Amino acid sequence: MAGMSSKRLQKELVKIQGTLPPGISLVSAPDLKEWQMDISVLDNPLYPPADKYRLRFTFSPSYPIEAPEVVFLAAPDRNIPMHPHIYSNGIICLDLLDSQGWSPVHNVESVCISIQSMLASNTKAERPPGDKEFVRSNRQRPRDINFLYHDPTV
Amino acid sequence: MSDSNSTGHSSLSPPPPGSRRSPSPGGTSVSTQIALRNMRRLEARRNMEENHYLTQKARNCNLNPPVDLRALDYVSKYDDNLVCPICRCPLVDPVLLMDCDHCFCRECIRQTWTTYSPLGPKGDCPTCRMPAKLGPRASTSKILVNILDDLVVKCPKSENGCKSEIKRGEVQDHITIYCGYAMVECKDSGCGQSVRRKDYDLGCLHYNVSCESCQQNMPKAELETHWQLQCPDRQVKCDLCSSLIYYRDREEHRKEACPAVNVPCPGAPLGCTNKSRRAHLDIHVKGCVLAKLGPVLDAQKQRMDEQESAHKLINRKLEILETGFTAMQDILSANRSGPPDNGSTETLIVPSRSRAESTATDSTRIASADDYDFPVPPSNRGSAIEPESPPTTNTTRSSTTPRTTATPRSLTSPPLRPAPQAPFPRPTDLPPPTTTDFDLASPFSTTAPGADGPYSSPLHHLLSMHESLRDEMARVSAALTELDGRHSMQILNENLRTRDEIAYLGGQVAGMGRQVHWLTSAQLQRQTPGGSAAAREVGTGASAGGGGAGGSVEGAVNAMSTAATALRGAARVVNVGGGQGSPTSPGMRRGVSEEGRTKL
Ligand SMILES: [Zn+2]
Ligand SMILES: [Zn+2]
Ligand SMILES: [Zn+2]
Ligand SMILES: [Zn+2]
Ligand SMILES: [Zn+2]
Ligand SMILES: [Zn+2]
Ligand SMILES: [Zn+2]
Repeated sequence: MAGMSSKRLQKELVKIQGTLPPGISLVSAPDLKEWQMDISVLDNPLYPPADKYRLRFTFSPSYPIEAPEVVFLAAPDRNIPMHPHIYSNGIICLDLLDSQGWSPVHNVESVCISIQSMLASNTKAERPPGDKEFVRSNRQRPRDINFLYHDPTV
Repeated sequence: MSDSNSTGHSSLSPPPPGSRRSPSPGGTSVSTQIALRNMRRLEARRNMEENHYLTQKARNCNLNPPVDLRALDYVSKYDDNLVCPICRCPLVDPVLLMDCDHCFCRECIRQTWTTYSPLGPKGDCPTCRMPAKLGPRASTSKILVNILDDLVVKCPKSENGCKSEIKRGEVQDHITIYCGYAMVECKDSGCGQSVRRKDYDLGCLHYNVSCESCQQNMPKAELETHWQLQCPDRQVKCDLCSSLIYYRDREEHRKEACPAVNVPCPGAPLGCTNKSRRAHLDIHVKGCVLAKLGPVLDAQKQRMDEQESAHKLINRKLEILETGFTAMQDILSANRSGPPDNGSTETLIVPSRSRAESTATDSTRIASADDYDFPVPPSNRGSAIEPESPPTTNTTRSSTTPRTTATPRSLTSPPLRPAPQAPFPRPTDLPPPTTTDFDLASPFSTTAPGADGPYSSPLHHLLSMHESLRDEMARVSAALTELDGRHSMQILNENLRTRDEIAYLGGQVAGMGRQVHWLTSAQLQRQTPGGSAAAREVGTGASAGGGGAGGSVEGAVNAMSTAATALRGAARVVNVGGGQGSPTSPGMRRGVSEEGRTKL
């Protein structure tokens, strides 16, 4: 099991270090537990192409059967993008990352592309409703949160 | 594996060899009975062997867990279409989902579905998300399985040292039967531990030894693995430059020495974005201007920092000096009246200007004062700057003058400046005693403002005053020495005179002594018989003041004694008066007393 997980991550890493779609780049992958990626949105005026957003992937030993934890990270030169499904602490409300929506055929690259397109199609520069309350009270891991996907259009 | 399983199963299925008790078919020939017995024996032996093989196999399974074919390293190239979308390996035991025909490893889809739907092999297809399940004949065609099982892989024990490369379909057999690095039970049946198959014939290796390199204790059977995988002193190949390094040093090698690591150009802080392998860095540095500039700029930066700190120090000093100077000017201008007050209002503006300018104006001001040699430099300067507006300066002067005479201090010392008496650092050329001098002298300057007319600046005034005081002092000291000399000369003269007198008196006394001697000897010769009585008479006569015969002698003795007292008094005077007289006087006195004693 662990053998399959690390084998697959090694293969993904080799591929990611090779070529990636435009706007997605690998920042660091010190081990097979936590990687950081940068994404930028190319064609949405809400997110200037020069702005990059930092994503942190955390893999459990049962990846890819289990979804990785993916959150946006705030850094001195990295902001959390404004989006109705992205909380200001970086937690992303995306069905793909949910235990119900995850599929083991996904990988780091495809997750990045999904998040990128989620940003690219956004038209509202706002936080999810109840963002402040959520950010203050939430102590759960992102994967344990039961998001209500009230807005399937986004 | 599946083959051996099936054969084992089929061999177990016949009735057990305990069928000897079953009634034999009666009336059969002995030969058939013997044949049957032989058959049973054969059957029993086969069963025993079978059982032995199975238990062996079970033990092997325990010692060597079944190989996960998805974790293998593939040697041969494979088509991307043979890859399972979940584990990204060539499919292992591939199955087709019903309805959508997507293909996965059996284990991959089982793990995916049991994780999320515990109801059985049923769930959404991971690829197309259609509800799917495994059909009764889910396996793909035998051709595909054969292609996949013919892919060549490395032995899973390759990192332990096995160099075998085998077809994937034979990996499990390689581990269970052949691989020298798979574990088997120790030859010593009492030991119960496991040993690598290739070490099996060496006997029991389960005694403790210690590693030569790291001194760690372990069973001999594990020593080789330790050397290969765990010992911190083992040699490993660097992944990047494939040179042999000690495992313990590999971090350091990465950081410091590995020629294959990408390192930034030394000129990176200056903006060179080049990153090249350590081995090629020299080539880049040779051509990179920024890398060459690096040390020079560093040295320059260091020097600039030094100079900046020095500059700050100088600035600080200058500030101190400036405050001292302005405070001094305040004191001076506070004690001047009329036109100098105009100058003090002028100096009020000075600190608000830039420092360089202010020092410049101060110096020019002193210079101009030296040139003009007259007490109104500020107004003079003001007119030099604004020659067209003498009336304004006049009006300001007239407006400030009355207030100045009323409260000179309050006007000239604004709250920003320290009070003139406050302790502040002064310029070295004006020592603190000067201020006290000035304070003492200040009444004169205020009462007689015309007196400091000839002085071009307050400083000069002070200096000249100091100078005159010094002259006065010199004069006084000269007079004192003169007086002293005169006094000592006077004493000397007096002394000499006294000495002469004493010498004269001494002579007189000596003459008188001789006369007395002569007189007494004449008297003695005259009255020899009553000599002793005469002598007694002399003594009583001296005390009583009577005696006819010795009347003249008595007078002489009296005169002598008075002369002696006079002499003694003179000697005392000489003693007190001068040093020159003292050496002679004791001798003289002694002479007198001796004379007196001989007379008596
Ligand atoms: Zn698979
Ligand atoms: Zn499908
Ligand atoms: Zn092997
Ligand atoms: Zn043993
Ligand atoms: Zn060792
Ligand atoms: Zn290296
Ligand atoms: Zn460079």
